[in-house]
Amino acid sequence: MTLASLSSFISGAFRVHLTRFTVTSSWLCLSVDLQAKMNTAVGFLPEININKSKQRRSTYYSRMKQTKESLRARLNPAGPAETLTRKEIALFRSSLKQSICVRLLQEGFHRSYSELVSLLQSDQDWRAMAEPGSLRILAPPLSEQKYKMETISQHLSLAEEAERTGIWSTVCEERLLLGRFFSDPEDLWLRFYFYHSCTDREKGRFSRAATEARACLTELYLDQGDLEEARQQGELCRKQAEDGGWLDSDGRSLKLRACRDLWKIYRELAEALLAAEDHKKALTLLHEGNRRAMESEDKQLKGEAAFQVGLANQRAGDHGTAKKFFNSSMEIFHSLDDTDGLVKAYKALAKSLKSEGYIEEVVACLEKLATMSRSSRLQHRLIDVALCLGNIYFSRSQYVRAGEYCLQGYEVACTTEDVAQLQRAQVLVASAHAHATIGKYGANLTSTSPAPLQRLLDWKVKRGREDLSVEEYYSPAWFKCAIV
Amino acid sequence: MEAESQGSAIIPFALPKGAEKFCELCQREARLQCSKCRVTFYCAAEHQQADWVGIHKRICQLLVPIRALTLRSLQQTSHTETQIKKAELIEICRLVAQSKLSEGKHQEALPAAQLCLRCSIDVHGPNTVQLVPAYLLLAEANMGLGNLDLVADFLSQAEWAVLKSPKCGLTIHHQLHRSLGRLHVATGDLETALHNFANDIYFATEEYGLDSTVTSRGYFLMADVFTKQGKMPTVRSLYSEVARIWHCHLTRLLETRKESIQNPPVDSFYDKAERVEVDEMLRTMLEFEQKDTRKDPARIAVVAHCLAMLSFLGGDFLKAQGFGSTALQASQLIPDHDLTEPIQALLQLVKILHTVPHPGSAESQY
Repeated sequence: MTLASLSSFISGAFRVHLTRFTVTSSWLCLSVDLQAKMNTAVGFLPEININKSKQRRSTYYSRMKQTKESLRARLNPAGPAETLTRKEIALFRSSLKQSICVRLLQEGFHRSYSELVSLLQSDQDWRAMAEPGSLRILAPPLSEQKYKMETISQHLSLAEEAERTGIWSTVCEERLLLGRFFSDPEDLWLRFYFYHSCTDREKGRFSRAATEARACLTELYLDQGDLEEARQQGELCRKQAEDGGWLDSDGRSLKLRACRDLWKIYRELAEALLAAEDHKKALTLLHEGNRRAMESEDKQLKGEAAFQVGLANQRAGDHGTAKKFFNSSMEIFHSLDDTDGLVKAYKALAKSLKSEGYIEEVVACLEKLATMSRSSRLQHRLIDVALCLGNIYFSRSQYVRAGEYCLQGYEVACTTEDVAQLQRAQVLVASAHAHATIGKYGANLTSTSPAPLQRLLDWKVKRGREDLSVEEYYSPAWFKCAIV
Repeated sequence: MEAESQGSAIIPFALPKGAEKFCELCQREARLQCSKCRVTFYCAAEHQQADWVGIHKRICQLLVPIRALTLRSLQQTSHTETQIKKAELIEICRLVAQSKLSEGKHQEALPAAQLCLRCSIDVHGPNTVQLVPAYLLLAEANMGLGNLDLVADFLSQAEWAVLKSPKCGLTIHHQLHRSLGRLHVATGDLETALHNFANDIYFATEEYGLDSTVTSRGYFLMADVFTKQGKMPTVRSLYSEVARIWHCHLTRLLETRKESIQNPPVDSFYDKAERVEVDEMLRTMLEFEQKDTRKDPARIAVVAHCLAMLSFLGGDFLKAQGFGSTALQASQLIPDHDLTEPIQALLQLVKILHTVPHPGSAESQY
């Protein structure tokens, strides 16, 4: 068996689907095979003790003559099947790093070799400097992970071959594959390295693969929290993807992917600013993000973006603009049948209306919201809306209606076992009823004529039973309420 | 000029009983001895002459305390002294052989290399890893003389020694593989040669780093094999790597030289032999680039610039000017090429030094 067949066998196994198992098992078979050969191989090492009996005085020239013959036999073996070649022996004698490096060099891939060596070196340097206990240091060093080394050398050499013939897109494709290959958390540095090696190269950086690498980098930086870098990569990616109209390796549009990521980035950037009460800058960023979301052709995202812009406007006190955005987000959510989104938007809209003083609109809005929540069984939302409506009626002194809504909220709260909401509802129901009673009989107290006095006396006997229907009066909720 | 070798006939009765003497070079029965040290013997005057030119004139007197049997030399205390002297002798032989080889005098290098091997065996014993440098010297000398069979013998010996002590140092591995690679190139076994050169580069990288000129030599040798195999894209790529490494290296050297331009050091950074070797290598590459169908001016510029810098450092201003203008022409073909400026600076420097020869600059050739 020659190395050529050996390596073609290995690389064949790789090409099939880079299956770890296939490779290992083929290596096992080989090693058994070679071991057997080693045992039967005769004369592959020079016989050292052959001239022991002769006089030591025989000079090295004559000794060499004998060695020469055995060497000749070794250099030109008569039966090639009987002896191992140097390369086969080297596979067993040398380290993993050496055998991979030598194979790369032998095939003329010196750039891949340099790159691999530098990678191994930087891994080693990092390990020497690293704090103990990190995820990467717990994993074995790269130079001991055969499968990874083989993969790197395989794809780098393919990339180098393409580079020589000037097919830059293939170069980037291979590097992108490598970046995607390293999915383990401890190999994050390799992902960064290979993606950057696509995007930072002079030639080929505008290819499809380089653009996808940029998209991957955007996501990596976003995950790492480096938002500025993520934003730069994302914008570049969007621009390149727009020019090229490419799809990523999973068949999704790269541009849309970039836009989605960009929206996330802008939103996170804006959130930090909002937290610092810098509304103006935050709004600029959110508008930018909104534009990306609009480009992304993802309706859900568009609705969410409009909603967030509205929310930020609301926080900044610009309720007019906020309402516009809420309305457009509602439209989108409506077309998507996204009740959750709708409810969210309605609530925000109501808040804006309320702070502008359009109570009628608020009420209309909230009532719509209440029906919507009820029909789609959004219990928490329903409690919220009911109590909110109750509050509004309360503040407008319509205590009876306030009581009705609060009671509704209370009933729902009973089913959700949300104690905080339940208690809030109880208080509100009670105070609404109290106020309703006072409103009804307050006038009688101030009057001096006998008729109102009679009405007061009647009420004393009935104690508010007329305010509520009989069922409600006897419902367990009412009892609980009355206790409070 | 040193004195010629002087020989006198051996008087067998003057020697201790039973001590037969053999020729220093061919190990046949000796008939002559060196009349200066009286401890070195030869079969004929030709061998004495060859040995004299090769090594003996450097070590004639050094051999006396090592070889002469005196009462003192039999004592235990002087044993270590002799060992030290032998070690010195080995080192001298090695250096002499090395310098003869790099001057291309393969035949003259043989006696020194042989003595080096014999002393090494004497000190360290047969089949030890310390013998490898001597074997490599012998192999290289014989390679120059075309005795491939002998080269194979020596290299096999060296390989065996290395095989027995794998932890013998990266340099040894690298040198052995390089020699083996060259042997296989000579015998035409290109695949094995590639394997050896690959190992050579691997070990050289481990020892000297990726961007070392030692490593780059391996790339160059490898490119030669690929040329024979007709794999031109690989050759092109390897050459550009070699040119890059040398360009960095020479630029750095030039910088240090510029700093001490007022007082150029007398001894050059390179001895002449090595410069000749590098010069040859770079010329091959320049020729390749110029003949190449692509004719990439950037590459021509880099290689020609290397040659100009090398010639400048060697003090050959005429050549430096020639290569410099070649480089300039090539680099000006590319708009805004980043080499144009350094090349012009170098040409300027050459002009100044060429018209007003500095007293130190002529000596700095060597």
